[in-house]
Order: sequence, then C-alpha cells, then structure tokens
Amino acid sequence: MAIDTNTIRHLCELSKLDYDENALEKVRDEMSDIIDLMDTIKSFDLTYDDTKDNNSIKFSETREDAALPSFPTEKLLANAENTDGCYVVPKVVE
Amino acid sequence: MDITRAKIRELRKALDEKQISAEELCGEYFKKIKADDTKLLSYITVTEDKAKEMAAAAQKLIDEGKSSALTGIPLAIKDNICVEGVRTTCSSKMLENFVPPYNATVIEKLNADGYVLLGKTSMDEFAMGGSNQTSAFAKTKNPYDTERVPGGSSGGSAAAVSASLAPAALGSDTGGSIRQPSAFCGVTGIKPTYGRVSRYGLVAFASSLDQIGPICSDARDCAVMLNAICGQDAHDATSARADVPDFTAKLGQPVKGMKIAMPKEFFSDDIDNDVKSAVEKAAKSLEAQGAELVECSIPGLKYAIPAYYLIACAEAASNLSRFDGIKYGFRGEGRTFEELIRDSRSKGFGEEVKRRILLGNYALSSGYFDAYYKKALALKQEIIKEYNEVFELADVILTPTAPTPAYKIGAQDNDPVKMYMADICTVTVNIATLPGISTTCGYTADGLPIGMSIIGKRFDEQTILQCADAFEQGFEPVAPKL
Repeated sequence: MAIDTNTIRHLCELSKLDYDENALEKVRDEMSDIIDLMDTIKSFDLTYDDTKDNNSIKFSETREDAALPSFPTEKLLANAENTDGCYVVPKVVE
Repeated sequence: MDITRAKIRELRKALDEKQISAEELCGEYFKKIKADDTKLLSYITVTEDKAKEMAAAAQKLIDEGKSSALTGIPLAIKDNICVEGVRTTCSSKMLENFVPPYNATVIEKLNADGYVLLGKTSMDEFAMGGSNQTSAFAKTKNPYDTERVPGGSSGGSAAAVSASLAPAALGSDTGGSIRQPSAFCGVTGIKPTYGRVSRYGLVAFASSLDQIGPICSDARDCAVMLNAICGQDAHDATSARADVPDFTAKLGQPVKGMKIAMPKEFFSDDIDNDVKSAVEKAAKSLEAQGAELVECSIPGLKYAIPAYYLIACAEAASNLSRFDGIKYGFRGEGRTFEELIRDSRSKGFGEEVKRRILLGNYALSSGYFDAYYKKALALKQEIIKEYNEVFELADVILTPTAPTPAYKIGAQDNDPVKMYMADICTVTVNIATLPGISTTCGYTADGLPIGMSIIGKRFDEQTILQCADAFEQGFEPVAPKL
C-alpha cells in the first residue's frame, strides 16, 4: 500500500480535514491507488531547472503602488455568517 | 424557425433588424429552460428578473444604434465566475449562499457589451471532475442521452448550449473542462492561451492552469465571444501583455498548406476505436481541403496525468485553504477556532475536493516535495519543450478530445484513478499553456457526439479557429432530441 493510516492522519492535519475511522480507511485506500498512479512519475529522470520556465508569455507589470478604492466593509461582511461589524469567531484567548 | 437554435451572429442580425426584441429573445430562452432543464439540470441559478432588466437596457442601446457584438445576446455563465449580486456556488455546499460583492473581469467586459445573463450553470464542485456528478446541487445530464454524463467540469455550460438553453456560455478549463464537455455534448469550446483572458473573479482551482473560455455552437461564435472577453487586466498579474487580434479575421480562409500534426501517442490503444476513426476521418477531410498531415510524437504524454494532478492539486490545496468558514462560505461548529475551521471544511467540501486537497498537501509536504511536486514541474518543462518542437514542424496539432464518448452516469463513481486517466487527451494543453479548441467530428452508432481538439501555438487562437471552422463548414451537426 502506497500510503498508511498515519500518513493520512498527518495529511488531514495539514489539510484541516476530519474523517471518522471508517471513512479514514476508505480514504486511505483511495489515496493509495492515487499515489500509485502518481508514482509512475518517478521513472522520469529529469530534474526541474527553475531557470527554464520561460513560456515566452509576458505577464502584467506590477502596477504603481498607489492606494485605490476598496470595498465597503458592510459589503464584504454580507457573506459572513456571524457579524457584529466584524467577523465573529470562537474565543481564541482565555 | 426556432430562434433558440440560432447562432450568436444570427441573433445579432435579428436584434439589429428588429425582428425580435432583446426582452422577447431572453423570454424565449427562459421558456425553453423551464420546459427542458428539469430533464438536464444544467442551471443552478436562473436569473429571469435580472435578465429582464439587462434586456431592457440592451434594447435601449439597440434602438439608439449603439449595439455591439453581444448587445442583447443571452448568455449562461459557469457558476465559478463571480457575478456581483448573483449567487455563485462553484457547485459546493461551501459556497451555497455566497453572493459575490464584485464582478469578474470577463463579466465587466460582457456588461460593457450589453449581454443578458440567463443564469449560472452547474459544474463539478470547484471544477474538480469530468462528469458534473461531483456537483452538490445539479448533477447535469447529457442532452444526447440523459443516462450519460455531460462531461465536466463545465458540463452545465456545455449541456445548456447543446440543448439550446443558451446560445453560448462561459466555462473554465484547468485540464480540459471546456473542451471535454464540449465534446461530450456536441458543441464547440475553446480554451484560450494561458494569460489571454483575465482570471480575476474566477474562483481559483489551479492558478497556473485555469483559463476562462467560451462554449458555443460553432467556432465562428467562439471567435465572437473571444473578441469580447480577452485582454490584459490590471487585476490579474498573470494576464498577458499580448496584442488582442480580431479572432474572426481568419475564419473562412482556406486551410490549404496548413500543417496539421497528429502525435502518435494520442492515437494509442487507450483511445476508443470510434473516437480514433472519427478523428482520423476528420483529418482526411482537412487533408482533402489542402492541409498537410504531419506525423510526430509527444513522448511526455506518458507522464502527463501524474504531472497534471500533482501540479493542479498542489495549487488547489493552497487556493482552497482560504475556505475556513470565517469570512464567507459554509460555517461548521466548534468550541475552538481550530475546531470551527476543521468542521467547516470537513462538512463544506465534497469527497473529490477533499481527496485533491489531501493529494496536493502530500505532494507539497516535507519529504515528498522533490519526488512529486518538483518532478512534476520538470515534466511540465519537458512537455512544453516537446510541444515547441512539434510546432517547428506544424501549424496546429489534431488529437481526440477525450478517449471515449460520454459514458453512463455512475460508471466512474468510486474510482478516482479511472476518472483521472480520462483526462489524458486534454491536460498537456494546460500544462504547456497552449490554446485548444474542441469541435464535433462525428457520432457513434448510438448517436453520441465525438469531439476532436485542435491545439495551437501560444496566442495563435486565430489559426485553430480557422482550422475548426474549415472542418465545421463541411460537417453536418446533429442536434440532440430531448
């Protein structure tokens, strides 16, 4: 098996995701199959060279560092579930 | 004539000649949506009231003689493109009630043209999938056979255009999400060169691969749509500083002398025989018009699926870390800040999205980064090099769009590996930042559409539109019977 339960638990920590025990086993099995597929890449023996990324696409230049109008606070808060003029979260300090 | 089957340019003529008003035109589409979309589920949100207001404003422009290409034209928009004030869900419980406070740049551009919004179309959750069956709200069906998938992730947009529930739509394409559903639903869709269209306001999946593009009933309409949405944008640092030509300019020009490469790896035993023979027949048809077929090879295709999924999922894991249930989106429960975030993400995301976040974090995590993520970047460089070499021999590349026609709903459930492998024909185009267009080149004995892709040089959308159009002019498409 390409991946064990402890590795899946570690990935869940990194990903901030929770699974119950039964679901965790299923995910481990699915991820093992996926990692087996990803492992085929290991037989490719070139190394990444970060000096060769030029696709000849010229992207935007950084704009002038000037203050521009932003969104009104109430418009941004409109999508938050609990608001009191700010984002409300569980208490984080004692 | 059923006006909902008309092309954009025919609608333009009908509107400008006052054969129909903008209000009447969008009314015809809403009638059709009400009658047929219960069978297809292509829309998540239908915006009839907003459309009436937009149509009235468009009609005013038409009456004043100020119409442009899309004034009064009704369009559907994939539900990962932000429209101010209109719910934009990404087909995810995470964004079930999200109402964007701003417009995507493409929407600003369409607004400037006076388009009319029909609604927001279903998709695979966060654009992750090729079947539309990972949608939390509307698992869209294929108009040619409602027991089959429409493809994905822009399956709602493709199905809506195919069934004449919109004359055209916007989709997004990270690994084939415009081209593959276009193939499955018998319509034409183009993924522009990376950087050609601003991604501002497109909910990010994999930022180095995502690109917005149109799905229409033919290449000519795709050109009209591209003219409206392309261009550099100060809001998107990856939008390219490239001149935007008139994408209709080469339409109708003969393909005599055009060199069309057909990489042998795209015609292997993994590709369905019906698909191979339809694409080969289309190649012969272009050859008969004077094009020259060129044999070539893209050996890197062998590693394309892992390279694509490692890069895309690594970027997705990072992009989707913003969904924490705090500022917007689904909010779970928890006594602590950490518990609240974990519960929000665990309940808000669907299974496929969670798998891809896990894979992305695996590829980026300490001890695996060099073996997976950096190796995938090395492959990206190799694939770009191989495509560049082919384009020294040819003007365009012709491939199947998908290894099979549309498959039965449920056929790939619970088998992510099978689902990922089905992207083999499309992902390298995104990896290599190239433009690609899919158009219908035949039908199976059961009447299912088969798509072929024409891939072009960077920023040469004009030539792939010209080639697709040259084929379409001699091809009789068959509309679905709902």
